[in-house]
Amino acid sequence: MKALKKIVTAATAAVCAISMAACGSSNGSDGATDLTYDKIELGTTGKDIKTTINLFTQRTDMLQDSYNGTTWKQYLKEFNKLYPGITVKVEGGTNYGDAALTRLQGGDWGDMMMIPTVDASELQNYFLPYGTVDTLKDQVHYVYGQQYDGKVYGISSTGNAVGIVYNKKVFKDAGITENPKTPEEFINDLKLIKEKTDAIPLYTNYAAGWTMGAWDAYIGGTATGDPKYMSQELLHTQDPFSDPGDGTHAYNVYKILYDAVADGLIEDDFSTTDWEGSKSQMNSGKIATMVLGSWAVSQIKSVGANADDIAYMPFPITVDGKQYTSSTGDYAYGINKDSSKENQEASMIFVKWMTEKSNFSTNEGGLPVAKSLDGELPDVYSEFKDVTFVEDEPAVEGEEDLFNDLNSDSELNINAAGDARVQSIVENAANKTKSYDDLVKEWNEKWNAALKTENVDVKYTTVVK
Amino acid sequence: MASSTAGTAVTEIPDNIQPKDWRKTGIIVAFSAIPLALLVFFTYLPFFNMVGYSFYKMKYIGTPKWVGLQNYIEVFTRPDTLSSLKLSLYYMAGALIQVAIALYLSTMLAFKVRGGGFFKAVYFFPYLINGIAVGFIFKFFYTRGYVFDTVLQWCGFQLDSLPYWLKDQRINNWSLVGASIWRYLGQNVILFIGAIMSVDKTLYEAAEIDGANKWQQFKHIILPGIQTILVLNIILSITGSLSAFEGPYVITTGANGTATYFVLMDQLAHGSQKVGLASAMAVVLLMIILICAVLQQMFFKYVFRDADDGVAKAKKKAAKIEKQRRKMALKNAPIVRNGSRNNKEKAVA
Amino acid sequence: MMTDVVAQAKARSAARSNSFWYKAKNGLLVFIKYFSLIFVAFWMIVPLVSCFVTAAKTTKEYQSTSVMTMPSNWFNFANYVQAFKASNMAIAFRNSLTVLVVVLVITTLIGTMLAYVLSRFTFPGNAVIRGLFTVAALLPGIAMQVPMYKMMVQMHAVNTMWGYILMMCGTDVISIYVFIQYFENISTSLDEAAIMDGASYWTIYSRILLPLLKPAIVTCMILKGVGVYNEYYASNLYLQKESLKTVAIALYSFTGPMGSQYNLICAGVVITLLPMLILFLIFQKQIYNGVAAGAVKE
Repeated sequence: MKALKKIVTAATAAVCAISMAACGSSNGSDGATDLTYDKIELGTTGKDIKTTINLFTQRTDMLQDSYNGTTWKQYLKEFNKLYPGITVKVEGGTNYGDAALTRLQGGDWGDMMMIPTVDASELQNYFLPYGTVDTLKDQVHYVYGQQYDGKVYGISSTGNAVGIVYNKKVFKDAGITENPKTPEEFINDLKLIKEKTDAIPLYTNYAAGWTMGAWDAYIGGTATGDPKYMSQELLHTQDPFSDPGDGTHAYNVYKILYDAVADGLIEDDFSTTDWEGSKSQMNSGKIATMVLGSWAVSQIKSVGANADDIAYMPFPITVDGKQYTSSTGDYAYGINKDSSKENQEASMIFVKWMTEKSNFSTNEGGLPVAKSLDGELPDVYSEFKDVTFVEDEPAVEGEEDLFNDLNSDSELNINAAGDARVQSIVENAANKTKSYDDLVKEWNEKWNAALKTENVDVKYTTVVK
Repeated sequence: MASSTAGTAVTEIPDNIQPKDWRKTGIIVAFSAIPLALLVFFTYLPFFNMVGYSFYKMKYIGTPKWVGLQNYIEVFTRPDTLSSLKLSLYYMAGALIQVAIALYLSTMLAFKVRGGGFFKAVYFFPYLINGIAVGFIFKFFYTRGYVFDTVLQWCGFQLDSLPYWLKDQRINNWSLVGASIWRYLGQNVILFIGAIMSVDKTLYEAAEIDGANKWQQFKHIILPGIQTILVLNIILSITGSLSAFEGPYVITTGANGTATYFVLMDQLAHGSQKVGLASAMAVVLLMIILICAVLQQMFFKYVFRDADDGVAKAKKKAAKIEKQRRKMALKNAPIVRNGSRNNKEKAVA
Repeated sequence: MMTDVVAQAKARSAARSNSFWYKAKNGLLVFIKYFSLIFVAFWMIVPLVSCFVTAAKTTKEYQSTSVMTMPSNWFNFANYVQAFKASNMAIAFRNSLTVLVVVLVITTLIGTMLAYVLSRFTFPGNAVIRGLFTVAALLPGIAMQVPMYKMMVQMHAVNTMWGYILMMCGTDVISIYVFIQYFENISTSLDEAAIMDGASYWTIYSRILLPLLKPAIVTCMILKGVGVYNEYYASNLYLQKESLKTVAIALYSFTGPMGSQYNLICAGVVITLLPMLILFLIFQKQIYNGVAAGAVKE
């Protein structure tokens, strides 16, 4: 084996040498800016900067004039009233997660991008820090999402709390007067809807893929009420998918989906669902519920005449008599560490303006990122009055990348495009190939194996003693 | 590796050194350097890189960790790799059906048929459509109550009695195979028509006179006449099915039990970023394909070691005569850029 | 005597073809023949027709009618216009054209050059080079995507036109075969005569052989051209900037969270296959030849 390793290493080295020779490495090192986010006074700082900066974003819809909200053009017009010298060029990417990763590695991605899934320890190789966690945590939410070694590399564009999009009229027609608070209540409501109305109780949007990955967002704070769960405890939990016996945790989140499919409470042919069509179907009352982030509400409201029927309810899981929702940062702005000093400053000013002055969060139905804007809940969350918002705490020092590693090792890809795993719930429930407990066992095995690979000491388990 | 190949071409000049040899060496080096460099850089370099990666646990970004044969062990012990290889059987069966249909259609189209050109064009055009468009077209085609179901309802089927083409795991792979046949059938038809047309016309006339019926003609003249291309196509379809990728990738993204080997590899590489494992998977399949290729060569050598079914012999002879005729024609041709039209055509006929 | 036999046979078959049963059987055969031809043709056309039908429908019409109901107005171009704009087709067509022209010129040049050298000179390494190309033809491109991707990243070739073009040139193997085949069909006596006249190898290649190779070049250009225009896996990976997108992947802008409706998608599909349809109608014969020549090595 050792000989084999030697040969391979030598060969790889030789090959790398050839490929490296063919390409010059470009390391622009013309001094990065030392400006930090907290020092920027909008309207004063950098008033005389004259430059053009590029932003790569997932919001392709906002590039189109037909968008039913504030478009990029409108935001930029506002921004330029304050900073006429800074021209911002916006470029959109479909299938953003993959696209952004490719561009990040390619190097040529402009001055700002929405940070895709990268290891925390890699952030410093690509992005400019906005400042330290200590100074920024009093000014903005979600600083822990993109931080490493006490420095913040990304400012979230908006915050999302998660629940379920539903059509109020359908619920009323089915005779449901109160929002479900537990998985059982929810499934019963879906059954009522199937019985009493023509609407599809729960639309999975299976075929689109990313709509399935969205289910992962509920297994953290929402299902546990614990701000340490996702970032700290889960990483040391054996059998995290097992049934804790109290109607909480990941087990009961995915079980809702499995049961809904097994009981025929979803669309007829999930393999050919059409996301765009589903929005108007929901608007017109042909679909009762969809499990998606709050961002979807404004989109569904806008595609038809029945905007008032569409509302957002808390996820039907109750932990010790209380409902929770995890509020997480959406894609965060990252600034290219290799951009010119001027562009970096201009970019940081733009990010601060988007966060504090643009009303972006409110316009998109999200939670504000700037703490100065905290206050009344946005309208979307009108039914979340009794719900506690949980913001994840950061990972323990030294474990910043552990979650990503476990995710990759186990191939479960939780909260990281694990579409296939959630899709398999639908497939197995529909075809009756594997029971839910079989699936849980399978995931647990993968996760436990990953814990072993990464030499994690197990401190918790979800299995009831 | 590559440079040494090029090196031998440069340095080892044959013994009988003639004045023109430096020019010859020059032209060889000049003309082969770029394509060889490209070949090495874009095929062999990645190949050896890949073999290297397959011994590491690594992501696209970050430091690789040596794991020895672990990835290979995993390839052979994972349940999903083996089941994905089984899916190749669908594509193999599909390829055989495709060859059969193509053979049937091309035996008709090779002779005079009303609207033959039209049929040929209709069969062939799907081959020219890009994969992503095919993906959209067939998602739309197979959606419950959409194109396929509607047309079947015209034919008297009840919607309730029809299966869900992409949802039902018992048939969704067949649906994908159907899309693949739709796309590649025409290419096979064109290929076979060409082969059938190249069989000597007088053979058919003779058979006609002897009173052979169509089936006999097909069996004794057409089939032997095109057996090389037929067998080659069947063998290619086997290696092709092992590396089936496009259909599931664009139509179902490999969901719902349709992930073939390479779709799975793509998911592991880009979804879970298991670069090492994906590389090992690729290496394993490449080995299988190379083995198939070697077996194919041996098979051909065995089957055609003494091909004397008359047709082949006659064809060989005809080719020989043709070659000689061309030689003569070319000898007499003026060696200028715009030599007579006639010659040019002959040279490539 | 020979004519006698033929005449007899003809008479025999004529007699046979006059009998009732023969006629009935023949009629049935003809029916089966055309039935199967039309049957297959029908299924080949239906998926495409459904696209044209849907592309001509307004959103309202699409939602309220069955997918195969004919549109009220076949000349409703609104979807085409919107699809063309939304997916930046103008830029995509320009990009595809650029890639197509550059790749075709380069691969034709280097392909014919290499084929010339390989088929006209015996030199040590000749067989090795042929072997390298044969093996390369066996390796499915998709298998090499992982290391290729890393390499492109190292070269900073991701999201650059030159990187993609270079890769497309580098992975061209099939056309070399076709060229070698054609070269071997051209007599070497031509070269010899030219050498006697004092022509250089370059002159022989460029002035004598290249013009003779025109049909092979057309064949390869068609093969390669179709491949390049339709290539989507690598371009999706390596050309992600909006300004670099090719026609094949411009279609992708219709998927994802900000996706679109089927009537727009269908319009997009029709837009991308229209150029192919036109080229196909013009160059039908050459395309068939190209496919027949290239398929063996695919």
